[in-house]
Amino acid sequence: MTAMTRRDVLKIAAAGAAASLPGLPHSAHAQTTQKRDLVVAQGGDIAHLDPQLSTSSNDIRISFNIFDNLTSRRPDGKLLPGLATEWKLQGQTTWVFKLRSGVKWHNGDPLTSADVKFSIDRSLDTNLKGNRVNTVLTTVDHVETPDPGTAVVHTKKPDPLLPARLGFYGGQIIPKKYVEGVGGDTFNQKPVGTGPVRFVSWVKDDKLVLEANPDYWGGRVDFDRLTVRALPEMAPRVAALLKGEVDLITQVPPDQGERVKSNPTTTVSGALYGGLYVLAVNSKRPPLDNPLVKQALSMAIDREAIVKELWRGRGIVPSGMIAKGDNHFDASLPPLAFNAGEAKARLKKAGYKGEEIIIETTAGYMAGDKPMAEAVQAMWRDVGVNAKVEVLEYSVRAQRIREKSFKGLWWSDPTSTLRDPDGMMWRLLGPGGPQDYWRHPEFDELGNAARFSVDEKFRADAYKKMTQLFLEHFPWLPVIQPYEDYGLQKYVEWTPDPLQQLEIRRFNFKFRRA
Amino acid sequence: MRGLLPFLASRLFRAAIALWLVSTVVFVVMRLSGDPVPLLLPPDAPQSEFARVRAELGLDRPLPVQYAVFLGNVLRGDFGQSIHFRQSAFRVVLGYLPATFELGLAAFALALLVALPIGVISAVKRNSAIDQATMGLALVGQSAPTFFIGILLILIVSLNLGLLPTSGREDWHSLILPAFTLGAFAMASIARLTRSSVLEVLRADYIRTARAKGVSDAIVVAKHTLKNAAVPIVTITGLQFGTLLGGAVVTETVFAWPGIGRLAIQSIYNRDYPVVQCTVFVSAVLFIVINFCVDLIYGLLDPRVRSS
Amino acid sequence: MASSILASARAEPAPARRARRTRALAVGGAAFVALLILAALAAPLIAPADPIRQSLRGRLSAPTLEGADGKAHLLGTDHLGRDVFSRVIYGARVSLLVGFAAVVVGGLVGATLGLLAGFRGGWIDSAIMTLADAQLAFPFILLAIGIIAVLGPSFPTLIMVIGLSGWVTYARVLRSQVLVLRSREFVDAIHALGGSVARVIVRHVLPNVLSSLVVIATLELARAIVLEATLSFLGLGVQPPTPSWGGMVHEGREYLDSAWWISTAPGIVLMLTSVVVSRTGDWLRDLLDPTLRGE
Repeated sequence: MTAMTRRDVLKIAAAGAAASLPGLPHSAHAQTTQKRDLVVAQGGDIAHLDPQLSTSSNDIRISFNIFDNLTSRRPDGKLLPGLATEWKLQGQTTWVFKLRSGVKWHNGDPLTSADVKFSIDRSLDTNLKGNRVNTVLTTVDHVETPDPGTAVVHTKKPDPLLPARLGFYGGQIIPKKYVEGVGGDTFNQKPVGTGPVRFVSWVKDDKLVLEANPDYWGGRVDFDRLTVRALPEMAPRVAALLKGEVDLITQVPPDQGERVKSNPTTTVSGALYGGLYVLAVNSKRPPLDNPLVKQALSMAIDREAIVKELWRGRGIVPSGMIAKGDNHFDASLPPLAFNAGEAKARLKKAGYKGEEIIIETTAGYMAGDKPMAEAVQAMWRDVGVNAKVEVLEYSVRAQRIREKSFKGLWWSDPTSTLRDPDGMMWRLLGPGGPQDYWRHPEFDELGNAARFSVDEKFRADAYKKMTQLFLEHFPWLPVIQPYEDYGLQKYVEWTPDPLQQLEIRRFNFKFRRA
Repeated sequence: MRGLLPFLASRLFRAAIALWLVSTVVFVVMRLSGDPVPLLLPPDAPQSEFARVRAELGLDRPLPVQYAVFLGNVLRGDFGQSIHFRQSAFRVVLGYLPATFELGLAAFALALLVALPIGVISAVKRNSAIDQATMGLALVGQSAPTFFIGILLILIVSLNLGLLPTSGREDWHSLILPAFTLGAFAMASIARLTRSSVLEVLRADYIRTARAKGVSDAIVVAKHTLKNAAVPIVTITGLQFGTLLGGAVVTETVFAWPGIGRLAIQSIYNRDYPVVQCTVFVSAVLFIVINFCVDLIYGLLDPRVRSS
Repeated sequence: MASSILASARAEPAPARRARRTRALAVGGAAFVALLILAALAAPLIAPADPIRQSLRGRLSAPTLEGADGKAHLLGTDHLGRDVFSRVIYGARVSLLVGFAAVVVGGLVGATLGLLAGFRGGWIDSAIMTLADAQLAFPFILLAIGIIAVLGPSFPTLIMVIGLSGWVTYARVLRSQVLVLRSREFVDAIHALGGSVARVIVRHVLPNVLSSLVVIATLELARAIVLEATLSFLGLGVQPPTPSWGGMVHEGREYLDSAWWISTAPGIVLMLTSVVVSRTGDWLRDLLDPTLRGE
């Protein structure tokens, strides 16, 4: 914001607004459009444009489109070439990636393997202030760059999941020369990537503007400009969609789905979230350090009612720590039980003395966060828990995540980045991870072993055992695996992906033209 | 202008005292919660930053010195760096100010445009159905909480009738409901006052015009009304304009209007204390300045006032 | 200055018939407040449901005589299935509690400062009056939210902040009463009437002061109730799940287009309360002490 004057920003904003005025060729009733601008509204502003400093959904929706990965995950789960055209395993622990030729950064510099090495090294750098992806690629030992078009990744132990790991956050490739030149702070405000859109401007709490990258290797996108608006309040966000001011909105709460669907120009499109909505627990704080208390808390939650009433049926009750659709999801496990009587008994057994248990929730960052928190609070009060709800602003939540200063429980929507327990549960709950509040030697041992094993049977057993430990100690209280709904104008052709990336590359997004 | 200078001087003095008081309260409240430094910096700031700010605020020195430093900073417009926006808190607040001005002026203009004619009509048609209705509404407008007036307007005009947008600041349509909401109290007060002023004039003139011949009622009423009613109306209008700032906090929140009222509330939620401090102070300054100007105009209009 | 102009602008002669009508209205208004207090006190008895009891099945249902749980919900249910009617009744508790407490706090502080200013005079008087002017010359809500931001929302903080927002009127009135007491005319009048100073004070001054205080307290109560509701609406007042009228309007905002009763019911009750209480204050003032007009 310092280089651009306010007048520049206002001019761009005005241009953007003018482009979406009615009167331009765009009929509200037909299902086609001529517009060249895509306007997206999401439930919160961006915090960081540096892809290694944030994994929050508001940020990854942007960073996945400014940056590319070596491999690319499609909505159907398949892994396809990204910045790497092919990759081969040589021996047990060496992966050779051939880089796509002719790829340029948004500032014109050529992509080389030095950038790949730089990106991976930086993602693992624990000294990088605010690094949120340092546990994603911890299987990597070191990266070699024999020539500008080849990157060789050596893993510490055999890691069959490495290409998949590189396909999600933590694996985004960032420009070495630019970042080292301008420094991390500027990079965070003015990112440069290789993706289908490039950065133009950002007015905090208002809008972010990106423009199409004409030289994108995957084909130029079907629009000229992408504007991302922050509309944290749900009512104005939905209203903006219904009025035609925006083309796509995220986080449509189930209560509003009907309204959006029944509107003639808009529709709802959702995907079963490739992760879980959980109440993460600060297990270091009594009485949450007592497994019996946590078991009781879990048993006191009537998840069926939450799914049926608060989500209008758009979701499933989780059975453990692994999301449906992931590898090693155990379909034989029953959904987490609701038993108020047993919950009370366990509280008694635990010696619960009425200590305050706080749910620290945002209001609108995750769909249904505040209503679910209030519902859970009432359910807990019903079994005698002194439960309180504290509403936080999204920025305060981000702060508490960084400082690990939560007082009780908070909503988290851990994404399964690999469609594998290693990519979600282990990434977050493992030692040194962002939600490292609870440790258990057997859990840790199994998690580590499963990460590096190529024996699927071994892994299946390991995760089964870990699930048992999980259900005893509840470092998370899974609540629901919901369908994440998006609201779209009918002229938008787009498949939501289960992992919140908001892919708008050519293969996934286009405007329906006449 | 006899007596104008001492009058101005006393008002200026009062304004300065008020400003000093506001800054003192801000200073006290910030210190009340303990060490203010953690409130003023992002939590991942390095220790060197903490030390620097501590030295800047003079926190290692006695309280009176801290206070002096604080006042000095305030006078320079230095309220620290906004934690959320990562720029000078003062710049952030200045950026949001125009929207509030726009809203305030629109509310004010709307209030006058609606209230003055209604006040006159109600007075002229005293005790008629129109009079009862408008005065009833005025009563409600004066006692009803501003936020609920806004909510009702959204419910009826935006959602049910679909005439105007529910929130945001897009074009002139977005301005109407917030301006009406913010101006409701002023509108009601001015309408009631206009009505009674006009009534008083009518009553006095009735006798006179009954004896005068050849001069139409309307012109006499109009002339005298304007003369006599002007002063109290200007007074109350001036008072109302100042209070619009306070009402703006609520109105901007209800309509998601991006002004400093909304900024203040959002900054509280964001725990962005530098901006909270700055907003409180800037609003106080504005308010006091506006009141001072109103006093000035009033003093110019009515010499009797200057000796009070 | 402005006050006297305003007073003269609004003064109208009050024939006996008007006085009787005004008295009837004032009594009616007081009765409304009394009824509200009663309802608030008797909330557990008259509220049909527990105000914080959730029933996810019956959420967002319109006013009905037979809801999803078989019970009547005269004002519908909110987004968590809680009975709105019961919450409105319990909300009265919060409004009245905070309102009255704030009035007491403001009254005590104001009366003390007013008496001090009147009796001591001199620089104390000037200081206190300047303080009063300064506070009036400032949109208090900004200071209120700033204070609550730092200290955190809690009942005591709320009461203190709202109470302190209104001390000025009490101070001014009491100060002028004291000045009257100390004036030459008054002292002469006492001599003329004969009898002890104390007796005169009790029989003439005190009733006057009390009636002024009653009028101010009533008007302040209306203002305090609205201020509490506003702060709760902004999320800085009473915290959920404790029902408060302002908080309920806030919760219902998201559902204005579908379950509009959640916001509307408490809002209308709030509006009604504010109108009636402040009108009662007006009528009391007309009856008891017209010289207070314009304060």
